[in-house]
Amino acid sequence: MAKVKNWQLKRDMDFPYEEKRPKRQWAIIFDLNKCIACQTCSLACKTTWTSGKGQEYMFWNNVETKPYGSYPLAWDVRVLEKLGHQDWAKNGEYQGKTIFEGAEVTEKAVHFNPKDEDWMYPNASEDDCAGNVPAGDHIQLPHDKWFFYLPRTCAHCTYPACLAACPRKAIYKREEDGIVLIDQARCKGYGECVRACPYKKSMYNPHTRTSEKCVGCYPAVEQGLQPMCVQNCIGKIRIMGFINPPWKAREDNPVDYLVHKKGIALPYYPQLGTEPNIYYIPPVHADPAYLTQMFGPNAMDAVAKYRALAKDGVTQGLFMLMGSTDRIMHRFSVKEGQARGFDEAGTEVVSVPVTEPLHVRADWDPKLGAVRNNTP
Amino acid sequence: MRLLLLVTLIFTCANAWGEGLVSRKIDADLSRPDESASYWSGARAETIQLMGQPMIAPRPKTSAVSGLSVQSVHNGKWIAFRLSWKDPSYNEAGKLGEFSDAVAIEFPVKSNETPPPVFMGGKDDPVHVFHWRAQYQRDAEKGKPTMKELYPNMSVDAYPLEFVDSGKIRGISEESREAFSPAKAQGNPQSYAKTGVDELLAEGFGTSSVLPSDDAQGRGRWRTGEWSIVIARKLTRDGASKLEQGKSSFVGFALWDGGSDEVGSRKSVTMSWTPLSLDDGQAPKP
Repeated sequence: MAKVKNWQLKRDMDFPYEEKRPKRQWAIIFDLNKCIACQTCSLACKTTWTSGKGQEYMFWNNVETKPYGSYPLAWDVRVLEKLGHQDWAKNGEYQGKTIFEGAEVTEKAVHFNPKDEDWMYPNASEDDCAGNVPAGDHIQLPHDKWFFYLPRTCAHCTYPACLAACPRKAIYKREEDGIVLIDQARCKGYGECVRACPYKKSMYNPHTRTSEKCVGCYPAVEQGLQPMCVQNCIGKIRIMGFINPPWKAREDNPVDYLVHKKGIALPYYPQLGTEPNIYYIPPVHADPAYLTQMFGPNAMDAVAKYRALAKDGVTQGLFMLMGSTDRIMHRFSVKEGQARGFDEAGTEVVSVPVTEPLHVRADWDPKLGAVRNNTP
Repeated sequence: MRLLLLVTLIFTCANAWGEGLVSRKIDADLSRPDESASYWSGARAETIQLMGQPMIAPRPKTSAVSGLSVQSVHNGKWIAFRLSWKDPSYNEAGKLGEFSDAVAIEFPVKSNETPPPVFMGGKDDPVHVFHWRAQYQRDAEKGKPTMKELYPNMSVDAYPLEFVDSGKIRGISEESREAFSPAKAQGNPQSYAKTGVDELLAEGFGTSSVLPSDDAQGRGRWRTGEWSIVIARKLTRDGASKLEQGKSSFVGFALWDGGSDEVGSRKSVTMSWTPLSLDDGQAPKP
């Protein structure tokens, strides 16, 4: 075991391989306040990558209803309960064990092994809320019942458990963008990655007898384009870019800005120790204890910042850029009410107003001689 | 501490080598494995001790199968091994999270006198492996299972490239379809129907690569809680192991219990090489 730096835990941790960060790291940020579980991302991914034989059950991108929804069934609670206490110190340092540190000597990672039936209910518990709704109940503010939607792809972790567990070393992390891939020529389908990935984003293909996973849409990324799940998100809740570790963070990088500068986007289940690279803006209305378990000790801080966004023109401008271009934004700027995104070469790829102009129409249309209404 | 234990174990096993496995010369066709052939009754059975692979994680906590009974015969051109062990459940894998019962035998490649590390060989000192799986035997006997056979009740609207209309759309070749099965498109031998036994070369854990088929065969049957498998191979293969009548070499064993979710490095193995001698068919000299 090597000692590696995990900034999400604010400490060093054990990992089977030496620390070797890629030149840049693929990352997606999701604003959970906006996701409506329309599953357009899931279908964009499915039609692009998993329409073949043996992939019938696969959703490299899925959206589940939290707290109860899960694909495969109960993937989160089953690994968390095996991990034991997951405490954080006041300074934000993780004091529990990661899946690598807690592993038995015979294993590479704390895990559970999903079975056939665990994969068969991708929409389990859709729209189920936390808590019972008794007869005669009525809405109070803030709501005492809650749920939220959690869209998930592979997190292309800095310390991937799939890669750590593969006895054939058939899994590799690309130097150029940090995307984690399974070599389909070397994989023998042992399923060790399926067992070890705590997020359960490696999946076995019974037709090819190998394991497969989200490829981060690398052919698009290589051309400066965001992945299909991001491009097709109709709620404009996602942005894909490249994240730097905090000691190299750049304020004009959209992902660095939201994760490091603003601290409003957080990794999910960072205590697992893989340094996942999908980041979430937590939903403001969900249970604080639950959010803290899922997004770490800064979850409620992020919620407070989100509630204060009305006073933050720069973040508002960046939110307007999300979903406004298919291209990867390496840099952004917000000036004089206009938000702009730039590609790697520094060329402007999109420009949007921070506040959409307001148009007021008279309620009577003299040309048609009709009353206008707002019914679409 | 673990290393010390391991060294002790290896020496313990080495002391128990004894005569090893003798392959008796017979006059019979061995190119078609037959686990119930009468010639097996004249072949001496050796009991081979197995233990859970102890070197690298992931590995089993315990030995799912602790012993294997082995016999061998040869005819001067082919050599066959009959391997039997107790296994309460038949597992041939196929669906998600299922694993196959399997057994493998290995031989040194470079030197039959000084074999490489028994744990799948060493760098520049490979081993030649014959890997049988119940799954591979099923492929050979009944064909590689289709998705419909694995999941009879599965509902699929359509596979995009299998759409057939009244002839307006040109049929799409199997090759084009396989571009959508990544491992097949890559020519991964794992994704194609097997002949019963895979031949591999390996230079240590995680390095095995499949050789093109060279007529080696593996067949057997499971009944009343026991597997009986025959692996038959030619005595020599260029670029791989070479056995000679009247000479000695070594053989190693590995075994996977599919019912205990064993696969890959989760296996039981022999901790040392078993000497293997091929008799020359002459009566032993007094």
